[in-house]
Amino acid sequence: MSKLNASDIQGFAIRGYNMPYARYCFLRFTGAEGARALLAKLLPLVTTGQLWDKKPQTTLNLAFTFRGFVALELPLATLISFPVEFQLGMKSRAGILGDTGENAPEHWESPWQEGEVHVWLAINAMNPEDLEAEFQTVQSLLESTGGALLLGVQDASALPKDGKFTTQEHFGYTDGFGNPDYLGVCRKTQPGQGKLSADGKTWVPLATGELLLGYADEAGELPVAPVPHLLAANGTFMVYRKLRQRVGTFRAFLNHWAARYGEGDSFAKEKLASKFVGRWRDGTPVELSPDRMDQSIVQDPNRSTNFQYAKDDLAGTKCPLGAHIRRANPRDAFGFEGRLIHRRRISRRGLPYGPPAPPEDTSEGQDTEALDATDRGIAFMALNASLARQFEFVQQQWISYGNDARLGNEKDLLMAHHEPGERYGIPGDGSPANPPLFCTALPNFVKLCGGDYFFIPSITALGMLAMNLVDPR
Amino acid sequence: MPSQSGSVYGLTLLCPIIDDNDAIPSHDLQIRYHLSTLSLGPDGPFATAPGTHLARLVVLDDVVYVGVPSCEEHLNSKYLVFESNCDGDRDTYLTGLARNIPDQLDAIWQHCIGYPGTKDLSAFLNYMKKCQLETTFFFAPVNDKSVTQTLSALQTQRAVAAFIATHQSCSAAYLQKDFKVFIDRCAHAPVPRPAGQSFHRQLKTGGRNE
Repeated sequence: MSKLNASDIQGFAIRGYNMPYARYCFLRFTGAEGARALLAKLLPLVTTGQLWDKKPQTTLNLAFTFRGFVALELPLATLISFPVEFQLGMKSRAGILGDTGENAPEHWESPWQEGEVHVWLAINAMNPEDLEAEFQTVQSLLESTGGALLLGVQDASALPKDGKFTTQEHFGYTDGFGNPDYLGVCRKTQPGQGKLSADGKTWVPLATGELLLGYADEAGELPVAPVPHLLAANGTFMVYRKLRQRVGTFRAFLNHWAARYGEGDSFAKEKLASKFVGRWRDGTPVELSPDRMDQSIVQDPNRSTNFQYAKDDLAGTKCPLGAHIRRANPRDAFGFEGRLIHRRRISRRGLPYGPPAPPEDTSEGQDTEALDATDRGIAFMALNASLARQFEFVQQQWISYGNDARLGNEKDLLMAHHEPGERYGIPGDGSPANPPLFCTALPNFVKLCGGDYFFIPSITALGMLAMNLVDPR
Repeated sequence: MPSQSGSVYGLTLLCPIIDDNDAIPSHDLQIRYHLSTLSLGPDGPFATAPGTHLARLVVLDDVVYVGVPSCEEHLNSKYLVFESNCDGDRDTYLTGLARNIPDQLDAIWQHCIGYPGTKDLSAFLNYMKKCQLETTFFFAPVNDKSVTQTLSALQTQRAVAAFIATHQSCSAAYLQKDFKVFIDRCAHAPVPRPAGQSFHRQLKTGGRNE
C-alpha cells in the first residue's frame, strides 16, 4: 500500500480538524460560468489533507450536490455515471431512510425544503473572529464573481465546560470516539477502530476504498464512481443531516426511567444513560467498564475503542443489543470475526449547534418545554465511498430496524423515529446491580430538519470543475 | 436426510413452463402477472392453506451469462420454481394445498407442461413428485417447531414483553396475582393467523410491492 497523496485530498475527507467553531454555508450557483469563476477563486483557500507544521486558524472545504454538478453543466456522460442515490438526493431517499412522520421532507426547514442547495462550504476555525474573517472573504468572493447565492448558514461549535471545549453533545454524552482507520489515511492506528483480523483479536485498518474513491475496497473492487476517473479519485461522498435534539424530552425520559431503575438514585441515572448509548456519558465504554465511569480507559487510546461483544456479551447484559454504538458498529457481534460489517462502516464528522443547555441540576435545566423549544442539536456529517451500501444501510437496517441485532422491529432509542407501542429493552444479568428494564412510550428525541447528499472532490477535481476540464471520454 | 430438517420439510419443485409461440401473452408472463396479484397478507394462498413457514414462487427464464471465466449455458425450458419450508411430509402438505387452495394452484400451474390439475389428487401428487428436487438449504429463521407453535410462541413473546413493560417494579403479591391471570390468558389465546404482521413497518425497500 503506497502512501496516499494527502495534498490532493480535501482535509475534511480524511481527518477531523478538532477545531471548536464551524460555519456550514449552503450555496446555489447562479450560472455555470460564474460558478466556475467562484470555484477558481476559492481553490487556493481549500484545506488539503497535508500534515500541518503549524495548525492554521481556519480551514475551508467544499462539497457539491448532484444538482450542483448539473448547474456546473458537467457533461451528461459524467452526470449519469454518479451513483443513483446521489443523483436522487437525500429527500428522495426519505422512504428507505425512515425519514417519515415529522422527519419527512415536507417538514424540513429552509433551504433543505426547497431542494436547491448546490454547494456545502465549510469553514472550521479556532476562534469566532477568524471564522468571521474567513466568512467575509467568502462573501466578498460571492459578490465579486456573482457565481453563487448564499441560501443559508449553519453555525456550530463545540460545547464548553468549565471554560474548556469538550467533545460532548447536548444530551451530555462524550462523542466522537469511533471513526474507522483506513489504509494509508491514518498516521497511527488505534485498536478497535479498523477491522478485526481473521484471528479475531488484532485490529487492522479498513481498505482505503471504503472511504475514498479510486482505491480498492474491502471486496477488492473499486467503489462505484463517476467518470472520468480523475474527477472521482481521492473524493468521497458525504451525507449532511441537521439533527435537532430535544434536550428537555431526553432529560425527562431519563429521569422518569432512572427512578424505576436500580436504586433510583443519581448513579442509576448515569448507568441508565450508559445503557442507552453503550458509553457512560463521560465516554467510558460500558463493555469494558459496566459498573462505573473510568477516565483512565477514556484517555487511553489502546483501550477506549478496544472492545468486542461476541466473546462474553452476546446477551447484551453489559452493552445492550440495542445500544447506539453497538447498533452503528456491531464489531464482532454478528459473528464471522466481524466480516459482515466491514463494508458498512462510515466516518463521522460534525459539531453541536445551538446554545448549550442549562445544567441538569438547575430548575431551568429541567424545564422540559423551554429546553425543547430551543433549536439545538448536531450538524451531523458522515463520509463513505458508497452512500447506499454504507450510510443508507446503517440508517435503515441498524438504526431504524433491529433484525440483525436480534431485536425484531426495535429501533435505536435516541436516533430513530418512533411509533406508538415501541420499546427499548435493557437486559439484566440477575444481579441487583445490573437489573433489566423495558422503557416504553418512547418519544422522538431527535428531529431531522433537513440535509442532503454531497460529493467531496479531490483538489485536482476541484481544479477540473473550476477550469471546465471534466471530460468523460 | 435430504429435504428434511428436524420436523420441517423442504419442498423444491422445478416445473417446466409451456412454450407456445401462439400464446399471447406468453405463459411465463401470465404466471408473472398472476403472482404479482397475490396477497402477501393473511388472505394470501399460502397463509390460507395450513403448514407453510415460507413459500417462494419464481419464474426462472434462463441462466444468465455473467462473463469470463464462466461458460455460456442455457436452460431447455423456462421453469416455475416453487420453494417451501413446511410442516409434515411432502404428500400431506401437498394434499393440504390441493384441498384448501385448489383454484389458486390451478391458476398458477395451468401454465406448466403436463400439469394435471388438483381434481385428480393422485395425478397431482405424482406430477409434483416428478418435478421435485432435493432441498439442502432451509430458511434460517425456521427452527424445529411447527407453524402453529411458532405463531403462538411469537404471540407469547410479545405478550410477555408487554406484561413486563407494564409490571416493572410492582409488588410481588400484585405481580403474582396478575401473572396467574396473564398465564391463563396466554394459554387460552387463539393461535394467530399466519402472515398477520404484528407491527407496521414504515421503512421502504424500493420494491414494487410497497
